[in-house]
Amino acid sequence: MNEPVDEFEFFLEKIWSDGFPVVTPTEERIARILGGTKRDPAEVIGPIPPAMETATVRDIAVHALMAGCRPEYLPVVISAVELMLRDEFNVNGVQGTMHGVAPMMIVSGPYAVEIGIHGGNGCMGPGFRANATIGRAIRLILTNLGAGIPGVSSMTIFGMPSRYTYCLAENMEDNPWDSLAVSKGYSPDDNVITMAMVESPRFCFDDVSDEPDRLLTGIADSMTAMGSWNMHARSDMVVAMGPQHAAICANAGMSRADVHSRLCEIAGRKVGELKNGGNWRRERALAFPIDVDPDDDEFFIPAIKDPEDLQLIVAGGWGPCTAVCHGWSGGSRAVHGKYQV
Amino acid sequence: MCSVRDTIEFEKRGIPSTTIITSAFKKAADFQFRGNGMEGHPYVVLPHPVSNLQPDEMRELTLRFVDEVASHLKI
Amino acid sequence: MANGLGFIDPSAGGAKETILLAPRPTDLSGKVVGLLDNTKEQADIILQTVGEALCERYGVETLIIRRKEHYSKPAATEIIDEMAGKVDVAIAGLGG
Repeated sequence: MNEPVDEFEFFLEKIWSDGFPVVTPTEERIARILGGTKRDPAEVIGPIPPAMETATVRDIAVHALMAGCRPEYLPVVISAVELMLRDEFNVNGVQGTMHGVAPMMIVSGPYAVEIGIHGGNGCMGPGFRANATIGRAIRLILTNLGAGIPGVSSMTIFGMPSRYTYCLAENMEDNPWDSLAVSKGYSPDDNVITMAMVESPRFCFDDVSDEPDRLLTGIADSMTAMGSWNMHARSDMVVAMGPQHAAICANAGMSRADVHSRLCEIAGRKVGELKNGGNWRRERALAFPIDVDPDDDEFFIPAIKDPEDLQLIVAGGWGPCTAVCHGWSGGSRAVHGKYQV
Repeated sequence: MCSVRDTIEFEKRGIPSTTIITSAFKKAADFQFRGNGMEGHPYVVLPHPVSNLQPDEMRELTLRFVDEVASHLKI
Repeated sequence: MANGLGFIDPSAGGAKETILLAPRPTDLSGKVVGLLDNTKEQADIILQTVGEALCERYGVETLIIRRKEHYSKPAATEIIDEMAGKVDVAIAGLGG
């Protein structure tokens, strides 16, 4: 007796499911979402590690569809997969690591605005279809085609909420400076994605500081922790300044580059403190790409070992908060590139 | 993980190879070997964690597994 | 991938074509052993220890040790190709 298959149960029971229902992929829906790209559906984008299943444009479209993407989101998803597969991003490693970091997508340029990738209030949380579904498409590709499945091939201890989805834009309306993409040399009219392998954010609340020195001291403190890999390896970090905090710095005459360099300079801890807990080991400090003296308790270890590793953006709604997203020790370097619509 | 991939690549080139892993990554290793058509490929499992061992402790522990390594590389 | 379901099932999987085990030598005496260090902590000590013990216990003649760029990336094909051209057997570590 053939019982009709419940399509939602069918996909919810898949080992690669993220635990939420998907939009059921039918040929009709696939054809519709493929209308969002000019690229050939048969075009091979690359194998997704560690299972190394090939992702074609069509495969990516199917996962974007399942995630709930609109056709116009597809160019962003395809480009994100291309970026993600760059050697230096090391998605192979993150698929198996005990850590819980996820590829965070910061999407810049006019197309992000057009399709509604949100960078204001609540941009790191639920409520915005483009943010939610573009990031989710990446995760479904990683779990299905890549088989990055907790307990199977992924030894992630906790995972992280940002492993459901991790995509946002900057709040350019309230950003007193140029975008992250412009700071990397792109034009404001370029459509750019930057991806960094980072944790879910922790917040630095400060409704007391009214000048940059104290404000950045507090933010820098949130960039360091005994248990943060940023202190024990070369690691990327995203600092998403809320626009209210950015305004404090801009109004005091600080440029984006000034803030960036100040945070790189002051975020860190002395050897003597780091030894007391967390992941401190001499051998780790000696492996840094900077000179350190791990036997000098007064020696200052910076959280950011190379200025390129700090991705500074302005995002979120108005309020006294900055979000700091710590990184990974697995050797991932942030990637960025233009995408075609 | 990458050391497993390295062993897979050696085997593809006709070089007998085994991988040394720590126990926390056993499932990941099994998965990778299985997914690459090498289900059941022999590898060596050290008890996790090892990162907190001093060099002489690490050597002492490793020596207990040398014969197992050898057994995976010869008849 | 159409089926009686009425929708597409894009689930990946299915075993890859089986890779046969490379033929093993009968013993390691006089052999060249390759040790591929993925730079994970302790990998260097582990591989060095294994290598030296294999020389002592099994008569291995030569050790070739190579170190990768970073532990989470597969070795550059060049390193593996180079080693494959020089070694009789290979040990990779440390997985995790």
